[in-house]
Amino acid sequence: MSAPSDRDNPPLGRTRIFDTSFVIMLGLTGVASVGVAWSEGPMRVVEITLNYLGFLVVLTPKILCGFFIVAAVPLLMPRETLAKWIGQDSGARGLLVASVAGALVPGGPMMIFPLAVSFRAAGATSATIIAFITAWSLYGINRTVVWEMSFMPVDFVALRVAICLPLPILVGLIAQRVLR
Amino acid sequence: MNLVTGTIILMVLAAWVWRQLETTQRRQQALGGVWRMVMKNMPRLVVALISAGLFAELLPESIVRQYLGDTAGFYGVLLAAGLGIVTPGGAFVSFALAAGAMNAGAATAALIAYVTAWALLGLTRVMAEEMSFLGCRFTVIRMVLTAPLPLIAGGAALLFQ
Repeated sequence: MSAPSDRDNPPLGRTRIFDTSFVIMLGLTGVASVGVAWSEGPMRVVEITLNYLGFLVVLTPKILCGFFIVAAVPLLMPRETLAKWIGQDSGARGLLVASVAGALVPGGPMMIFPLAVSFRAAGATSATIIAFITAWSLYGINRTVVWEMSFMPVDFVALRVAICLPLPILVGLIAQRVLR
Repeated sequence: MNLVTGTIILMVLAAWVWRQLETTQRRQQALGGVWRMVMKNMPRLVVALISAGLFAELLPESIVRQYLGDTAGFYGVLLAAGLGIVTPGGAFVSFALAAGAMNAGAATAALIAYVTAWALLGLTRVMAEEMSFLGCRFTVIRMVLTAPLPLIAGGAALLFQ
């Protein structure tokens, strides 16, 4: 079985504006603004909102560059190529390939888990799939570049990614031993 | 300064990617992807950034410092990892909370544990997507194997503090 093509499965998954996460976020924001208005007056809510909207203007170039990088990766590295690499080698090199793929495949869970299922169908071991999902969770390009870089300082992101870099391979090696 | 550094890094990377795309057609395709991401993610980013500001105002600094600050050490890492697992929703929810907590005085190590735990073990994603695609047995095995990682990452970050 081959991986789903780009046309059937755009990198972003479904493009719904309102999903559960967004509703949760709106709810949290509503509660937080009532809380701030209660404790410090409604003017403080307006002040914080304007402050952070100003901050967003400064952030925008960074955010747009991040979007561009993430949007271009599937054009430079088609998913079919990644799927072909994964599952060919079940040793330590296979784990390395799976970790690189997990870092580079853009998209959220609705994109990653179906892809993992197709890797399994193509003959990848559970250890390889665990390394892939772990790498995507720890430093998938979408989450790290689009979200984490927007909210957190760059040295925070760099330190976290540097620490996490070897972990998917480590977990994969342990999985290879345990899942025999 | 930090913001400028991050922006420059991403700009250089984006310029390199632009060159690598080579043809006008592929560049336009990528720009189309950017537009779809703006439509989907910008509303989330705006709301999440504002709420990060509101959270930072609401989170009592003394309590954040006591339980998640520099002096909390490994207990802070442990607590943050637990909070990461139960944080509901997508990336912008957890990063808004993390940014708010950072402004309120949470330590880097605790925040690394928080983000890592949410990313690896966040229950919303596990129950909504992973279990239905990959099955219960695989998901449980993966979670057990990766459960120590937030503590390892947070613990390693403590060494840099």
